[in-house]
Amino acid sequence: MISCSNLWKSYRVGHGQKQVLKGIDFAIAPGDRVGLLGRNGAGKSTLIKLIGGVELPTTGRIRRGMTCSWPLGFHGGFQGSLTGYDNARFIARIYDRDYGTMRQFIEDFTELGRQLRMPVKTYSSGMRARLAFALSLAIEFDCYLIDEVIMVGDKNFQEKCHFELFEKRKDRAILLASHSLSSIREFCNRAVVLESGHMTQFNDLEEGLAVYENL
Amino acid sequence: MGRALQAWRIQRRVIFALMIRELTTRFGRENIGFLWVMAEPLLFATLVGFLYRYMIGTEEHGVSVVAFIASGYIPLTVMRNSFGRCLNIFVVNGSLLYHRQVRVLDFIIVRFMIEMIGGMMAYLVIGTILVFFGLFPVPAHIGFLLAGWCLYMLFVFSVCLVIAPASESSETLEKLLPVTVYVAIPLSGTFNMASWLGPKARDIVLYSPLVNGMEMMRYGLFGDTVRPYYDVSVPLGASAVVAIVGLAMCRRVRRTLVVE
Repeated sequence: MISCSNLWKSYRVGHGQKQVLKGIDFAIAPGDRVGLLGRNGAGKSTLIKLIGGVELPTTGRIRRGMTCSWPLGFHGGFQGSLTGYDNARFIARIYDRDYGTMRQFIEDFTELGRQLRMPVKTYSSGMRARLAFALSLAIEFDCYLIDEVIMVGDKNFQEKCHFELFEKRKDRAILLASHSLSSIREFCNRAVVLESGHMTQFNDLEEGLAVYENL
Repeated sequence: MGRALQAWRIQRRVIFALMIRELTTRFGRENIGFLWVMAEPLLFATLVGFLYRYMIGTEEHGVSVVAFIASGYIPLTVMRNSFGRCLNIFVVNGSLLYHRQVRVLDFIIVRFMIEMIGGMMAYLVIGTILVFFGLFPVPAHIGFLLAGWCLYMLFVFSVCLVIAPASESSETLEKLLPVTVYVAIPLSGTFNMASWLGPKARDIVLYSPLVNGMEMMRYGLFGDTVRPYYDVSVPLGASAVVAIVGLAMCRRVRRTLVVE
């Protein structure tokens, strides 16, 4: 269980403050598959960063009763100047995993071949997505935080993700931020919508999607 | 107790991984690789040492000029480089904060450690080579040398703890830091012993934690040829105060840090 109670987050903008999240109460239970919806700038990435512990809330608390991945997105988690292998080695070290096994897994999952010897900054966003997923799947988290990135992958990658996340890891939770209604339908079983700093939760996925479409 | 031990194990692992990462990004795997870390202090200390030897002679106050300058310059380069490396350190390493076990404090520890280890390696190499040419003494009291080094570095590290968060909130710091360090050289004990100064000047420089550490190092190196003035409570006390302020600042800055 991961639970957020009364989360507020504001950023400094010039001399003022911008309130992005205004009191979010939200929980992810084991096995939950939550679609996070909202317009651009509604605070989806901010919420994911707070849950992932990348940034800290202005007020409020987050309790993590299960392990939770770093936010898988277009930014962060990688060192652009290092190769794919070096990044994998670094992550294996800090998460205390065996590098040999990890290397085998990312070679199979990413199918990037010799590209893994190149600096990550030369990768396309689809290639980054493959590497990010491979690394976090190799570590095995209870909850995966996914910020958009799943959509940039090609069909083959989407199928792999589906297999790894839904067949092999049915019991894991995910929080998926996306604008693609089809991915949300494919991957999630409930939805939450962020609007002007507040969150509305829908146990019925279609209801949440309808609300989002009318924003 | 078990939890503290567990946390320590994680932090040790993270620091080790970050060091390897830092060394590969900075020096690559080509030619001498990470040995470059000692190149700068090594060259600085040797070249400036010989420069002084030609300017003022082989011996001054009964000690070898090359040895005196080299032994002062290495800690000074470590200090200057550590300070420089701490500027904007949180932002440039931001992408690593995606991994929750990585703390902002680790960044500072890692960069400082790399500079310090580089300095120690340079010290060892210079000392060993120059001993053969009779330009460097065999340390008279190795314990004093090490203790002085540790106190000097402790103070440098605690100042790093302040510079790193301060540079996130103030851009002027980045501009003013190099000149400040340069102007503060007389307070680092690099070019003279406190005993060579008049009593008034001596009282002033002995307020500097760096001078106290440096005096101990010089005594450890040259033995009774020099007369050291030092008080360990100055660097210990100053480091404690500065480190507490720095840790509080790191904590505050981390709360509002924006990570891309």
